[in-house]
Amino acid sequence: METIEIIKDALPYLAYGLWITIYISTVAIFAASIIGIIACFLRMSKNPLLRYPAAAYVNLIRGTPILIQILFIYFGIPTVLSINLTPLQAGLIAISFNIGAYMTEILRGGIESISKGQMEAGRSLGLSYAQTMRLIVLPQAIRRMIPSFVNQLTHAIKDTSMLSVIGIAELTMVGQSIYATNFRSFEILSVVGLLYFLTIYGVSLLSVRLERRFVMS
Amino acid sequence: MIQVEKLSKSFGDLKVLKEISTTIAPLEVVCIIGASGSGKSTFLRCLNLLETPTSGKIMIEGKNILEKGVAVDKMRQKMGMVFQQFNLFPQKKVVDNITLAPVKLKRKTKEEAHLFAMELLDKVGLANKAEAFPSMLSGGQQQRVAIARALAMEPNVMLFDEPTSALDPEMVGEVLRVMKQLAKEGMTMVVVTHEMGFAREVADRVLYIDGGVIVEEGKPEELFANPQNERTKKFLARVL
Repeated sequence: METIEIIKDALPYLAYGLWITIYISTVAIFAASIIGIIACFLRMSKNPLLRYPAAAYVNLIRGTPILIQILFIYFGIPTVLSINLTPLQAGLIAISFNIGAYMTEILRGGIESISKGQMEAGRSLGLSYAQTMRLIVLPQAIRRMIPSFVNQLTHAIKDTSMLSVIGIAELTMVGQSIYATNFRSFEILSVVGLLYFLTIYGVSLLSVRLERRFVMS
Repeated sequence: MIQVEKLSKSFGDLKVLKEISTTIAPLEVVCIIGASGSGKSTFLRCLNLLETPTSGKIMIEGKNILEKGVAVDKMRQKMGMVFQQFNLFPQKKVVDNITLAPVKLKRKTKEEAHLFAMELLDKVGLANKAEAFPSMLSGGQQQRVAIARALAMEPNVMLFDEPTSALDPEMVGEVLRVMKQLAKEGMTMVVVTHEMGFAREVADRVLYIDGGVIVEEGKPEELFANPQNERTKKFLARVL
C-alpha cells in the first residue's frame, strides 16, 4: 500500500487518540492547578502538620518515575483497597497528582520570588494576608510563572503517552495498535510524533501571546 | 500615643532587643539612631508588628496590641510605614499604588480616594507622575510616592525605616524635605535614620540604640552637643 493510503486510513483513529490525549491533559492540568494551589499554601504554612505532608507529597512524586505512579494507582492500589478504577480514572488521577506536585513548586517559586517587601508594604497599610496575596503578590507571581506553567502543560501532554501501559486509547496507544496490524511503524509513528508536535507547538504559541498580554497589562 | 514597655525580641538565640521602654507622645518626632545591627529597625518594625516581639507590651490608645484577639490589621491602618526599599507595587500606576488600600479597605470610594491621592501627590511634588509606573521613577520620587501611599490611609503616626538609606546622595534632600513638611504639619513620626542633620533639625527627641537597648535619649541639641554616655560619644564621633 502507498504511504499516503496508510496514513489516510489511520488518521481517523489517530485523531480519536489525539482527542483522548488532549482531553486527559486538559482535565489533568485543571485538577493539577487546584492540587498545586492547595499544596503550595500548605507547603508555605507555618504549621508543620500542614507543611510536612505537602512537602512529602512533592518529594514523593518528584522522586519516582511517572510510569511507576501510573502502574501503582491502576494495579497497586486496588489490590489493597477495595476500589476499582477504570483505566481513564486511574490515568487522570496519576497525571493530575504528578503534574500537581510540579505545579506546587512552580507556584511556590513564583510567590517566593516576589520580594518580602511587597507583602510587608501591603500588611503595613492594613491589608490582610489574604488581601495582600490576592491583590499584590499573586498578580506579580503569576506573570513570572507563565513560562514554567506552559512548560508543565507540554509535559502533561507528553506524559499522557505513558497511559498506554494501562490500556488507555490515547494517541500513542492508538498508534501502537495500528502498526501492530499493518506493520508500518515508520509511517504511523511519524504521524503520531507530528500530531504531538503540532499540539505542543500550538500550546507554546498560545503561551507567547499570553505572556505578551500579561506583560502589557 | 504609643507606650512601649520592656519590649524584647529574639531571633533564635540572638537577643536583638532587650527590654526597651519608651513613650511616643502625640505630635512628637522621634529619631532613632545607631549603628547597623543595633536593633533600631527591629524596634521600629515591632511597633506595627511586622516583627512579633518575644515579650513586653506595646500600648496604643491604652490597649496592649500584643494581646491575643487584637485586630492587628485595623491597628496598622492607623500607622503608616515607609521602607528603605520603597516597596511600591510595580504592576500598578503611581496613583493606583496610593488608592489601593483606602478603596479595598472601604475607607473611601474610588472617586474620593483618587481626589485625595492627587492632593497627596501634589504635596510630595509628583502630581505629574500619577499615571507613571514606579519603575519609571527615580529612587527619590519612588520614596515620595511611598510616603503619599502611607498618608492615604490618614494614619495617626508614621514610621520611617531608614527612608533615605537606599537613595543616591542627590535624592536624599527631596525626601527629607517632604518629611520635614510632614513634621511641621504636626504628624507624629518615628524615624530610624542615619541622617544626623535631619535628626538634629527636626527631631523632638533622639534615641541612641546600641546592642538592643536605648543607651541614651534626649533633645537633639543636648544629645548631639553633649552626649553623656561613652558609647554615644564614640558613635557620634564616628558619624558626625
